Amino acid sequence: MYNTYFLLFFEFLKVGLFTYGGGYASLPFLYLMADTYNWFSHEQLVQLIAISGITPGPIGLNMATFAGYQTLGLFGAFISSFGLILPMIIITSQVFRLYRKFSENEYVKSILYVLRPTSCALITSVGAKLFYNLILNNKLDFSNVDFIGLTLVIFLFLLTFKLKRDPIIYMAIAGIFGVCVYFLK
Amino acid sequence: MKKISFFDVFKVFLKIGIILLGGGYVIIPIMKNELIEKRNWLNEDELCDYYCVSQCLPGIIAANMSILVGYKLAKIKGALAAILGMSFSPFISIVIVAHLLNKILAIPFIESLFWGVNLSVIVLIYLALKEMWSKSIVDLFSAFWFLFILLLAILKVNPAYLIIGSIILGIVFQIIKEKRGKNV
Repeated sequence: MYNTYFLLFFEFLKVGLFTYGGGYASLPFLYLMADTYNWFSHEQLVQLIAISGITPGPIGLNMATFAGYQTLGLFGAFISSFGLILPMIIITSQVFRLYRKFSENEYVKSILYVLRPTSCALITSVGAKLFYNLILNNKLDFSNVDFIGLTLVIFLFLLTFKLKRDPIIYMAIAGIFGVCVYFLK
Repeated sequence: MKKISFFDVFKVFLKIGIILLGGGYVIIPIMKNELIEKRNWLNEDELCDYYCVSQCLPGIIAANMSILVGYKLAKIKGALAAILGMSFSPFISIVIVAHLLNKILAIPFIESLFWGVNLSVIVLIYLALKEMWSKSIVDLFSAFWFLFILLLAILKVNPAYLIIGSIILGIVFQIIKEKRGKNV
């Protein structure tokens, strides 16, 4: 039991250290956790993404809190959030003192040059995975496509040309669409 | 300017945590309103700088920005106040939702609602990528590297290795660059 607390802390410390590029970039780590430990299932992870999006706060932080709660209850939620935040407190407050030099440092620039496409690729892989799970229903041969879901995604995609990028609008529209589909079925 | 205490910083970030809906992207307009227009604690250039630096640091962009702002206002004490204040209400709301999850899932249309919201995440990921793309994929190498990492990620290589590998490659590039610079 104590071992699980320690593992949970350590796993989220890793997420805090290795996440670059926003909350969704931490998802590959959560999927890996779901595969490695029996803390939560892939289905729970999908619920977690929805809930983290529609509650206040940064998505990455919400996901960590939620995952911790699902693993070990209230104290688990505390441990996972603390693990996620700790590296940020240490690194970011150190960087503050030299922040002008930091963003102009040649090494930092070179590292970011490689790191940026990496985090794009990691986020893309999560998008592809969600598409595979939710729209293709885990079949690569297109035999099980969810056409209603596909319609919604295409509709939201077209909206991106018209609307601002405030995510809550897309979530609200999609949630209402989901409820309508339920009552029409 | 009056000295800013732990509690002053905590209160403001508590409020920011409550109104921060839909992820970190909205943090800039909120901080601008709360910290610059209402309280005059920062100027616009500082906020811009903090945003740029936060994107280069590991972790969550909104949380890193809060730490930078807090540190500027009241040193390490302020940084702690900011991150605690901002995490407080998200923490409570997540714990409540997670606690009631089974009851919430029992409401008949809730599953369809989540189904819709999750599909929207595909589009939100696309939007996040669109934002990052032009700064990330800048030449042939970065395009190749993107595809290479995407392949490895789909093959379920541990993302921590991919990040560490990228950091090492970045350092190697810089060392090669400096050596070349000396030879010329």
